[in-house]
Amino acid sequence: MEVLNDFYRVAENPYEYSRELKKSGKRIIGYFCSYTPEEIISASGVHPIRLFGTGGDITLADSHLQPYCCSLVRGALEEALEGRLDFLDGTVFPHTCDSIQRLSDIWRLNTNFGFFADVVLPVKLNTESSREYFADILKKFRLDLERGLGVTITDDKLKTAITRYNNIRRSLKALYEMHSKEPGILSGRDLWAVTRASMIMERDDLLVKLSLLKEALKKGGRSGKSEGKKRLVLAGSVCDHPNVYTIIEDSGGVVVWDDLCTGSRYFEGTIEENGNPVESIAARYAERLVCPAKHLSNTARGDNIVRIVKKHDAGGVVFLLLKFCDPHDFDYPYMKEFLDRENIPSMLLEVEDSLPSEAQLKTRFETFIHML
Amino acid sequence: MITAGVDIGSITAKAAVIVDGEVKGTRVDFTGYNAEQAGRRVLDELLKELGMDAQSIDRVVSTGYGRNSVKFADKAITEIICHGTGAHFLNPQVRSIIDVGGQDSKAMVVDSEGRVRDFAMNDKCAAGTGRFLEVMARALEVDLGDFGAKSLKSERPSKISSICTVFAESEVISLISKGEKRENIIAGIHDSVASRISALAKRIGVGEPLMMTGGVAKNMGVVKALENRLKMSIEVLESAQVNGAIGAAVMAARL
Repeated sequence: MEVLNDFYRVAENPYEYSRELKKSGKRIIGYFCSYTPEEIISASGVHPIRLFGTGGDITLADSHLQPYCCSLVRGALEEALEGRLDFLDGTVFPHTCDSIQRLSDIWRLNTNFGFFADVVLPVKLNTESSREYFADILKKFRLDLERGLGVTITDDKLKTAITRYNNIRRSLKALYEMHSKEPGILSGRDLWAVTRASMIMERDDLLVKLSLLKEALKKGGRSGKSEGKKRLVLAGSVCDHPNVYTIIEDSGGVVVWDDLCTGSRYFEGTIEENGNPVESIAARYAERLVCPAKHLSNTARGDNIVRIVKKHDAGGVVFLLLKFCDPHDFDYPYMKEFLDRENIPSMLLEVEDSLPSEAQLKTRFETFIHML
Repeated sequence: MITAGVDIGSITAKAAVIVDGEVKGTRVDFTGYNAEQAGRRVLDELLKELGMDAQSIDRVVSTGYGRNSVKFADKAITEIICHGTGAHFLNPQVRSIIDVGGQDSKAMVVDSEGRVRDFAMNDKCAAGTGRFLEVMARALEVDLGDFGAKSLKSERPSKISSICTVFAESEVISLISKGEKRENIIAGIHDSVASRISALAKRIGVGEPLMMTGGVAKNMGVVKALENRLKMSIEVLESAQVNGAIGAAVMAARL
């Protein structure tokens, strides 16, 4: 499956890819978190790329951020201060967790990438007024982009972007579903590379590659064996650790679905294509699978994880939490309670930018998988 | 049926031989650099001691952090599973186990069949492990084997507040220079270890009957401090250090 190499190339060298894209004349805006209304950025003709943490040491960022901030936030700032994000023409911060909000301030004062916007989204998403507010905020974001970048974002451009993103989201979901049905067709690492690259690659090119991949999978994909492997769900914030999938597979398990910001929470939920474009985009973000930094209902997240486990016939859940990620840490006992009530076993793994030693991880995964 | 269990820990390698459901013998040796050799050696020595030869062993299960290096084993099973199995084999009433070894501390809850239901393990930090105690023993120039007895004589345990092993060591050194009694410092060290382990154990809700296994269980000072912290009584068997190897030999009989 040659097309996989394209995904790996982008997923593993996002900066190199971005610099090439920049050379071809594209302007690039970096964003954090899956609540960023990428459709509007895309409609402006500027290319949105998702920023992750750093794979390296954190030294410069520690002068600005305390150690109780997660490694994603500290790592991202490190990348900016080190000058590794020199290809950016701007950055967008959606209002989610406390650390991202503070990072936004520090970023604005200490970096100089041109365009800058805070998208101050509502926190409670289940009220009438929050819907109106959500749409207003996105209208303002559209104006900010137009003024800041000197472009016009027409309704038609927005509609094209909506269709583009609906197609991307449907394709990613279809791949996940094919993989859940037959986990042998792709390794967990492959699927990680595909989803990660989907947040980086030029989106029309991405759609072509996604359909090529779908074709290749229909012909059997990797045709690996997955019988006897314990089906697991991975839950948490972001998973920037492809080794996690490999170690789980080496320990006799396979991740068949996730509840991750870099996974199902990114692609679940499509946008109404025939309504007022900005309001339709707002509706999708208000209704999508909720993250613990937002509120939809008391049971939305708990019910969702149970539903995922049942739908994908999983034996257990692995919580992969970033150390010092408050929203997810606060949410964990609540999520576990929903699983315990259904007798669904789960294990908690706290990680930072780098993983604990492989031997430690294997011991935990092997034990957990043995328990199931 | 004759089975053997080989437990390669970070500091010591352990072996156990079980013949028809009865523990025939156990042995402890240092692991050293080569885990595979250590496994071979500790089992060979044990077999020699028992007057048995390697051919008579039906099956071998390896466990511990070096379990995958033991190429002659029929299967490698994690030490969490093996400690659960070993504790249940030696006392079927046991429902919770705390295993503290050289570089890991673990807590597990088992069901009436000895199957692990939940577990927790320390993260990349040596606080609350045997290695922590070794570092402190060196700083205090006391044999680690005397730690338990000495600490029980303490009247006023020192307070060690650093969690980090390196910082805790400097705390110990400043206590020494202040002229604090060794017993009190050691008791403080034990309480610090116990506080780490009890936090881990409470996370998964350990309850009585509770057994402690692993090399650190030989230290009565840590066991007492842990009993105080958890407000539970802890059972420690003679075989605490080789419990994982016994569990592995039991698992081997079930393969």
